[in-house]
Amino acid sequence: MNTHQTLKIIDNLPDGELVTSVKHWTNRLFSFRIERPISLRFRSGEFVMIGLPGDNGKPLYRAYSIASPSWDEELEFYSIKIQDGPLTSKLQNIKIGDRVLLRPKPTGTLVLDALIPGNRLFMFATGTGIAPFASLIRDPETYEKFAEVILTHTCRNIAELKYGKVLVESLADDPLIGELIDGKLKYYPTITQENFKTKGRITNLLSNGQLFSDLCIKEMSAESDRAMICGSMGLNNDMRKILEARGLSEGANSRPAEYVLEKAFVG
Amino acid sequence: MTYVVTENCIKCKYTDCVSVCPVDCFYEGENMLVIHPDECIDCGVCEPECPADAIKPDSETELEPWLKLNAEFSKKWPVIVDQKDPPTDADEWLDKPSKLAWLSDAPARE
Repeated sequence: MNTHQTLKIIDNLPDGELVTSVKHWTNRLFSFRIERPISLRFRSGEFVMIGLPGDNGKPLYRAYSIASPSWDEELEFYSIKIQDGPLTSKLQNIKIGDRVLLRPKPTGTLVLDALIPGNRLFMFATGTGIAPFASLIRDPETYEKFAEVILTHTCRNIAELKYGKVLVESLADDPLIGELIDGKLKYYPTITQENFKTKGRITNLLSNGQLFSDLCIKEMSAESDRAMICGSMGLNNDMRKILEARGLSEGANSRPAEYVLEKAFVG
Repeated sequence: MTYVVTENCIKCKYTDCVSVCPVDCFYEGENMLVIHPDECIDCGVCEPECPADAIKPDSETELEPWLKLNAEFSKKWPVIVDQKDPPTDADEWLDKPSKLAWLSDAPARE
């Protein structure tokens, strides 16, 4: 047996990591934190496979963006609840002291390394797609690399914005990055199915320029701006067209460029 | 759906994909890598990492033969979990046409 096979077998028999907190935001959304193994290193914005033992005894894993920053002693996740979802139907019932399985290989393209240097960083999220950005906006490196960070978050209902809103509002008082942020982070929530000050899909608000006029910032350009996208397949496809039309090209870890998007995201 | 490794990997085998795969679903032949379609979680991280642009989502048309080839060889070849140096002549083979004729069905050598 070679080392690789040994690793795979060990990996299939984990104890799991202790759940340290759970918060239900709506009847469809919750976040939770688990202990972080000392050996688990990751870059802010990456995702990892987490899971629970399945009914047949085999572990059931799904890809989850890590919502906490790389310096955090715990790992935070932000999840949707799907009643007949194989994993989330069970995951939504976890409590403090339960264990969540964690595979040891974080990865992903929503990382600062996959972008070439720029002046402003735009983060476009829909729904639970805000998770990787919840990590990145808490990472000092984000503000060291970019002069301005614009986080947009689009949800169907106002209640679904709360996780992101509470997080953003808490950053000003954060002892580690409160001073670093100091006006550098702009938060732009939008709502599609209820009346709200900024109503509509982010693709429309971006295309018609309202995003820029609302925030009193200049239009996007490939020369100075970088972007990260995390949302539904529809958002990915539409944003890709909009950004490419503005001259931005897709980057990767091995080939940094002007924008990156997360294909692993579903929900 | 899954991602599949296609012709341009043959004799290039850069293995950038291996370092980013969260589920270690790449399998290594003598001169090509394949993806195990039942293990791939469809995360798509490997696709833009491939210097040869050889990894495609199987939603693309005309990839059926490559899907079969990936499925078949991933059962026969050993798993690869770490990036390694490509063949010394990898760059010379990049984008050469009709590389399928050069595909070795032998597993990677230790």
